[in-house]
Amino acid sequence: MKLTESIAYRNVKGRPARSAALAALTALMAAAVVCGTLVVTSLQNGLSALEARLGADIMTVPASAVSKQNFENIVMQGSRGYFYMDMSYYEKAAAIEGIEKISPQLFLASATSNCCSVPLQIIGFDPETDFTVTPWIRKSLGGELKDLDVVVGNDLSVFVGNTITFYGVECNVAAKLDKTGTDLDTAVYTNFNTIKKLIASSIERGMNEFADIDPERVVSSILIKVADGYSVDEVLNDLNLHVRRTKSFKAKDMITDAADSLMGVAGIIGVLMAAVWILGLVILFLAFGMSVNERKKEFAVLRVAGASRKRLSGIVMSEAFIVTVTGAAVGIAAGLLIILPFNGIIEESMGLPFLLPGAGLTVLAGVLALAVSAGAGAISAAHSAHRIGSIDTGVILRGEN
Amino acid sequence: MNKMKDRIAGIILTLLSLLLTVGVKTLFSACGAKDDGSFMSCHYAEQAVFGMGIALTVISVCVLISGGSRIGTGCAVALIPAGAVTLFTPGVLINLCMMPNMHCHTVMHPAVSVICGLIIAAAAVHVFLSLRKRGERK
Repeated sequence: MKLTESIAYRNVKGRPARSAALAALTALMAAAVVCGTLVVTSLQNGLSALEARLGADIMTVPASAVSKQNFENIVMQGSRGYFYMDMSYYEKAAAIEGIEKISPQLFLASATSNCCSVPLQIIGFDPETDFTVTPWIRKSLGGELKDLDVVVGNDLSVFVGNTITFYGVECNVAAKLDKTGTDLDTAVYTNFNTIKKLIASSIERGMNEFADIDPERVVSSILIKVADGYSVDEVLNDLNLHVRRTKSFKAKDMITDAADSLMGVAGIIGVLMAAVWILGLVILFLAFGMSVNERKKEFAVLRVAGASRKRLSGIVMSEAFIVTVTGAAVGIAAGLLIILPFNGIIEESMGLPFLLPGAGLTVLAGVLALAVSAGAGAISAAHSAHRIGSIDTGVILRGEN
Repeated sequence: MNKMKDRIAGIILTLLSLLLTVGVKTLFSACGAKDDGSFMSCHYAEQAVFGMGIALTVISVCVLISGGSRIGTGCAVALIPAGAVTLFTPGVLINLCMMPNMHCHTVMHPAVSVICGLIIAAAAVHVFLSLRKRGERK
């Protein structure tokens, strides 16, 4: 028998308002599951991508930079901003005992690029000493970065072979990086020679806050890997003690804020999902119960007409199944239509690393939401189905109950 | 009741087309002007979507007025390619800004895509149901 010819389907269709209301409630519950799962997974992915790119144990920056707004995001996530310190601090830091690798970086925010009015963050690294950027640039580039070559973040709409102009200096796009879900996706990476040219050009044009610096003698941050046998805290204390006018941080501590925010957001999402589900389950339970109560006579007539008790329970369960699965499918589609296309604005409003999961995990989240919603419908209707299976036909038809 | 049922698709299509037309100039507009007063390419995508939105609204109103008649079905058929052209206007036919975290990428493009997708889907369902109904009558 076709589904559309079944009693359950006709019952659902015969009460469009009630069915639509229950389906809408299930849609809300399914959307809460799919949206919540995708948002929390994306935040976790973003944090993992950020952690994966953390190659250094310690970061040293000019002490004056710490007061800069958004300072941690500048050094960790490629947000726009720049500051400089004299190269002598790098030399002093390199002389500290217990350092395995040390490499400087230079930052510059472009004023305008050739496409649009929004500036980009340019990160310069020293290819001879670098140990943090080069490993993942090599994956995309497959070779060395030449002078005036740049590697662009995944979100920039420029492609390998294009040119991009900063402060009048034309650079070639040599490679595009994998997505991280952070501002690093809109940053530009280049070697020390190129960024020094760009800084010099920005100073010449009067577009650099630090007009009196010599680009050949400055660095923005120093990345340090601690040698085996030395503790990170020990080296960190030495750096803070001996390299004055700089501030050193444990790199992992700097993503603690992002991790704490993620826990906070995950907690809020969890509470909201729980609230929607508890409310939804109570309403579904009451709605199915009331619906069966109202239709006791209808079921009694079916029983008299020869329908078994099992069949009556089956009708109630089928009705619940049709309503909840339809509602859940709509809710999942709506949830995906919100999260997938609008992930950019969600990322921006949260201000946290946000990396959507792959197609497989997204489908899994949808299937999970569908299964959980259908299960919730079945649980809510089970009690009513059991009750209708044990009705006393005679009593009901005589109108005594 | 049947007449009302025939008009549901027209109502949905008209509301979606109106939302697209008004929204692209208000809720999910493109990026603003640059400091020098000039516009980026996404502004022209916005203008094109606005123009297409007006056309989609007029056709949707025709579907609403004509209900389940052949004219209504024909108008709904016309909405499918028109919706597809509007869907591909920002980002494919007319470039958006380079930075994907700009308003045109994060808000305008997804909003236009979702609304146009819904218009195409609603029009396709209406065409399918109208043709099936006509087939049953024969």
